[in-house]
Amino acid sequence: MAAGVLSGVRQVFRGPRLVSAVFSCHGQTLSSASAAVKSAPDTAATEKILNFPLTQPDYFHLSELFTMKDLFEARVHLGHKKGCRHRLMGPYLFGSRLDIDIIDLEQTAEHLQRALNFTAHVAYRGGIILFVSRRRQFSQLIETTARECGEYAHTRYWKGGLLTNAPIQYSPGVRLPDLIVFFSTLNNVFQQHVGIRDAAKMNIPTVGIVDSNCNPSLIAYPVPGNDDTPVAMEMYCRLFKMTINRAKDKRRQMELLKGISASV
Amino acid sequence: MATLCKVMYNVSSRSSLLPKHCVFTTLRSLCSSDASGGDGKSAERVKSGFAAAYEQHSDLRQSGDRSSGDETSFASLLRRSALTQMGPAKDKIVVGKIFHIVNDDLYVDFGGKFHCVCKRPSADGQKYQRGSRVRLRLEDVEMTSRFLGASVDTTLLEADATLLGLIESKTKE
Repeated sequence: MAAGVLSGVRQVFRGPRLVSAVFSCHGQTLSSASAAVKSAPDTAATEKILNFPLTQPDYFHLSELFTMKDLFEARVHLGHKKGCRHRLMGPYLFGSRLDIDIIDLEQTAEHLQRALNFTAHVAYRGGIILFVSRRRQFSQLIETTARECGEYAHTRYWKGGLLTNAPIQYSPGVRLPDLIVFFSTLNNVFQQHVGIRDAAKMNIPTVGIVDSNCNPSLIAYPVPGNDDTPVAMEMYCRLFKMTINRAKDKRRQMELLKGISASV
Repeated sequence: MATLCKVMYNVSSRSSLLPKHCVFTTLRSLCSSDASGGDGKSAERVKSGFAAAYEQHSDLRQSGDRSSGDETSFASLLRRSALTQMGPAKDKIVVGKIFHIVNDDLYVDFGGKFHCVCKRPSADGQKYQRGSRVRLRLEDVEMTSRFLGASVDTTLLEADATLLGLIESKTKE
């Protein structure tokens, strides 16, 4: 799991253009020229802060945030009818009862754990996270969640070249998100959201809640689960908010400790 | 343990004709053997009456504690869930809660994946507010249909139910 996270995070920092970020030290360690600028113990401490969490399987203790019973009570296991099923969602389904697809919560729990762990590591390293959903019923909820954890949300119409044509549509040095979280991977006409394909083109990793009628193939960390019930969406929003806040608090704490040990 | 000895005393005093001191010694030996045999491992004699019942109930309680660990597996949660126990959704009576109102449309959540939308009835119309509990007769948990030329079903993202009435909630003691 740590190896998977490592490769994901390295991919993140090669793709988008970094202008100025608070924790852009990792970008500098990749190019060895500027390493000599910093004093030796400072770089070593920074590297330790950045690399040590990647060696632990659950550094942020995210397994205590949810249990399978919580997922069950939030109706995460309920899928659409059998006729709406996407063929690639077959492996994630427990079965079908009276034509209703039931999503296997044991697999969902593992996938959710992986997705939250990746989100936490991205937030720890100061990455920009973008929440995307085209469900108008939950757009208010997702926007408030993004505001509360200090990240960004895009729950409106997705303009064509938002990611692929960003330097022209915005400004030449714009920074793209380092992680895109899809709370629903379909748009309002039941087609796959354009953002999934564009994020894959721009080497931006994606986390997505895939229901039984969605295509999970282009998403880096799919989480099979219900995306139509308000209880389930509130639970996902709460989990992602807690993960991101936990990771950011941990980073602030480590920076403080580094500051204290450097001054001593 | 004291109650066990008391009951054994009654049983043996009714059945046996031994003098009192022998009864007490047999009682003590019976109590001690039962204390060890109550674990269910070393008992040689066939137990009857209260002893057998006590053993059976203690075994049942132990097995009950063990099986509560399996309750948290997804398969058992699903099997015991209300939605599975209900069976086919056609003509089932469920209780729902109104969570949104738009003029005369009531959006009711009854615990399924989707909500259902019902028209406000003419009788007692003003009593249906956000948070009221209502009775519904379910027709379908999700309204879907396969149209000609399509590869997947088209879904309306809603359930289908008829409103039966309010649940009069009086304070119950």
